[in-house]
Amino acid sequence: MPVKKNEAANEWLYAGKSIIFMYGSFSYWLFKDMFPYRQLGEQFIRTMLEGFATIMVGAVVQGLFLAWLGGYYGDRFGAYIWIGTATTFSIFRETSVLMAGILFAARVGTAFTVEIGSMSMSGQLDALRLMAVEPTQHIVIPRVLASVITLPILKAFSDGLAIFSTMVFLKMWFGVSFPIFLEHAFEFLKPSIITLSLIKAGIMGFFVALNACGLGYYFTGGAVELGKTTTKSTVINFLYVMIIDLIFGIIVELTGWGTV
Amino acid sequence: MIEVKNLYKSFGENDVLKGLYLTVEERKATVVIGRSGIGKSVLLRCISGLLRPDSGEIFIDGDDITKASRAKLLKIRSKIGMLFQEGALFDSLTVFENVAFPLAYHQLYSEVEIERKVMKYLEIVEMEKFVDAYPGELSGGMRRKVAIARAMILEPKYLFYDEPTSGLDPYSSAVVEIMIKKLQSELNITSLIVTHDIELTRFIADYIALLENGKITAMESRDMAFTEDSLVYEHFIKRRERIRAENGY
Repeated sequence: MPVKKNEAANEWLYAGKSIIFMYGSFSYWLFKDMFPYRQLGEQFIRTMLEGFATIMVGAVVQGLFLAWLGGYYGDRFGAYIWIGTATTFSIFRETSVLMAGILFAARVGTAFTVEIGSMSMSGQLDALRLMAVEPTQHIVIPRVLASVITLPILKAFSDGLAIFSTMVFLKMWFGVSFPIFLEHAFEFLKPSIITLSLIKAGIMGFFVALNACGLGYYFTGGAVELGKTTTKSTVINFLYVMIIDLIFGIIVELTGWGTV
Repeated sequence: MIEVKNLYKSFGENDVLKGLYLTVEERKATVVIGRSGIGKSVLLRCISGLLRPDSGEIFIDGDDITKASRAKLLKIRSKIGMLFQEGALFDSLTVFENVAFPLAYHQLYSEVEIERKVMKYLEIVEMEKFVDAYPGELSGGMRRKVAIARAMILEPKYLFYDEPTSGLDPYSSAVVEIMIKKLQSELNITSLIVTHDIELTRFIADYIALLENGKITAMESRDMAFTEDSLVYEHFIKRRERIRAENGY
């Protein structure tokens, strides 16, 4: 059905425009008038609470997966001594931040889109404008900046829990003791690897929140359209998380900042 | 006074307002009536500066808001309060916080003064017992009353109402109607109401403007509008009876 194809293309085009307009609006309002400190504090607490449980469950699953993979190959090639090194390195450099970013987009990003989209639908954004309150400043900026702070913190917690659960599962399934695991676990871990992964998490938090807020902010329509917009928010943010990860991977390889 | 001259607004190929003229007298209640989807809310959003018209002029106390800078527009908007459809209260805030919001955000008064003002307006709309309730815990009529208090808190000169009784049962509608009438008579506010509710129009209007085909086709006083000779009566109020008759009922 060509008409439906056009409709879908137009919807994605509108989603793209919404995100680009939001980049412009965010840049314009970031340093204008009053800085919303109170709202930033509120959103920091909210994003921490909303993201914590999901990302921590993700960390345990990550530990389970890495323990199984590490244990299997360690057993096959007799390389138990290096399991700690391999799993810790991959958690700090790639898997933890990737999983935290995706889960943050799924849990917090979609919540932003639905919340702001509903506010737009019920006239709350117009009500703010009529009270001389700029919605980008009051609604969007606090959510985006809170996410920039929250995601690296959650990622750091996730690192710790993922390593701990990897250790527990390795001991349970493959009998790898904690001292063996820890013997070489942090041997190749440079501060630059940790710093870069935290910066990467901050950038992921920034774009996930900004995209999600933009899609909600410029939303028009009813409940069905809001559902579609939320799906777009999830898909776009998953792609962003993976692209940011890829770009950082290339930077690390080119500069050697995060390599052993 | 509000004067709208030759206003045009379209969305894509849909021309909504097509050369509309309207005058809103001070301290009077002007009701714009018309069928659903005819452009009443679009008109209200253009006058309040929330939508930019394609062309035309909108003068509020002599200032043309279509050509106003952002700073000027904010100043003009401070004269306007608006009751949105469904109230548009902030779900995450209590009744008290909703009404206090504009004052607290702009840090216009001390906390004691804000509390005094909020309670004053909540008492006017008879919602002072619900200060700690969230909008989700209130009925439709109660939400509208809180929204009226919030619209009033900055003491605007003009109060706009977008379908204030839509979706309400007759009892809640009557309560909201009385509230609007009370504000009109006690605080001498200039009101602009868009609705298709004939009973509301009959109760609160000083003047009635009929919006048809993107233009105001008739503007009459309430006494005139509800007579057989009236254009408003002929084109809108009597339409229901005519459609029924045409269909054999």
